[in-house]
Amino acid sequence: MAAAARKCGQHGAARPRAGQFLFAVLAVAVGVVAGSRVASTENVTSARAAYITNQLGNSLSVVDLTAGKQAAEIAIGGKPAGIALSPDGMRAYVAAPESREVVAVDTASQAVVKRAVVGQGPLGIAVNPQSGAVYVADWYEHRLYAIDPQTLSITASVATGQSPSGVAVTADGKTILTADRDSNQVSLIDAATFKVTGTIETGERPFGVTMDDTSGRAYTANVASNSMTVLDVKAGTRLRDIPVGLRPYAIARAGNLLFVTNQHAESVSVIDATTFDALKTIRVGSFPEGIEADPSGQAVWVACWDANTLEKIDVETLAVTARITVGEGPRAFGKFLR
Amino acid sequence: MRVVASLMVALCALAPIAAEAHGPTRQKVVSKIEINAPVDKVWAAIGNFQDMSWHPAVAKTEGTGGNDVGATRKLTLQSGGVINEKLSKYSAEERGLAYEITDVDVKVVPVTNYSAQINVTGTAEKSIVEWRAAFYRGFVNNDPPPELSDEAAVKAVSDIVEGGLAGIKKKLEGG
Repeated sequence: MAAAARKCGQHGAARPRAGQFLFAVLAVAVGVVAGSRVASTENVTSARAAYITNQLGNSLSVVDLTAGKQAAEIAIGGKPAGIALSPDGMRAYVAAPESREVVAVDTASQAVVKRAVVGQGPLGIAVNPQSGAVYVADWYEHRLYAIDPQTLSITASVATGQSPSGVAVTADGKTILTADRDSNQVSLIDAATFKVTGTIETGERPFGVTMDDTSGRAYTANVASNSMTVLDVKAGTRLRDIPVGLRPYAIARAGNLLFVTNQHAESVSVIDATTFDALKTIRVGSFPEGIEADPSGQAVWVACWDANTLEKIDVETLAVTARITVGEGPRAFGKFLR
Repeated sequence: MRVVASLMVALCALAPIAAEAHGPTRQKVVSKIEINAPVDKVWAAIGNFQDMSWHPAVAKTEGTGGNDVGATRKLTLQSGGVINEKLSKYSAEERGLAYEITDVDVKVVPVTNYSAQINVTGTAEKSIVEWRAAFYRGFVNNDPPPELSDEAAVKAVSDIVEGGLAGIKKKLEGG
């Protein structure tokens, strides 16, 4: 829409006929406003790199998003699945459930700088955007750990529901959410006291959980009920459930749209974030899993486990515009864009 | 007896299908085979979800729902083991189908959360059948015994996939 208005403005200025003077002035004014809007959108820098956990390949792919290709593949081991980045982007934290480790990778040198055993089944991982604390969900011990971002040693721990999977943190850094897969609930944890302050019921087997700070809502992808649940985090309530495709895994928001990966449908469901109407189903590579919106809001990136690809969805056209080959069995469960 | 049977059916219907707890790492087996037969003929042979007689390990296929999504089948193996499956995707146009194992004893196939897709591509002379399977090992917790490990699951599924692909090739090329 902004582009159309700007084009209209240029058009008016190029044809300064007397009868259209007022129109031209208005159009140029609209064009200027639209232009500034475009400029402010462009000020939000797009992510330049993606850090993709290849579970079967035992590695972390570093993808150059500008060049559209894998720039490096770093050996990790331990069947890595979860991924998170430090607020300054200097560290990538990988959860490797098979070796029960969290592995810290320096993004500048692309080298593993630290690894530590955390619990019995570290899977979901997230970073507090304010404090930098790292949170790790233990799939087997049914706990959430806080670990020190430098030493990776455990600083706090709390019991959650059964098999916590996805982890999310509110933008203010005050609340942590875990999707407790086998309890059909989300746990809300106070980041300061590290105590569970409440739980919210979801659909069946919630796996990924995404915090949407623009609306104060969170979304879970419910693997067994083929649905997503919309939660009001502050009120602690379940707002509604929306049907999506087969075996949904994770959710991202870009603009006013929600994008849900459907593992067994090789598709991404597009849902209006206001009306919750299903708008489109986009065919992507087989077994789409980890998904994250580019900070610009103009693209969504999807890791496809079976296809071994990282795919780009253009938010305006809702078409797949890039398919980048990564390592074997990419999961990218978490926030992987830098 | 009949009451018990219907109760069992009811309980099975209530159970979350193929979404139980599972190990940490999903495994993958992908294989394809070239067949000297027209693509339509190959699809006709394997595109019927209610007939898996082309697989040498399958002794009997019983099911309901034809080729509609949600159709089920019970495979009785030559070994006597039983596998229950559900059709999750079907496209005659794209010559492909996908299905999930809804119930199997890990002693029969040491896997959980198994899903697979089979697709046929090709021409009027030659076809390629591709079989892609995704699954977790039979043991859902840490430190699996060897017979329920990731390696055991991959070996068992590879045997099923390779045996099936060889079976369909033999059936269509053998006369």
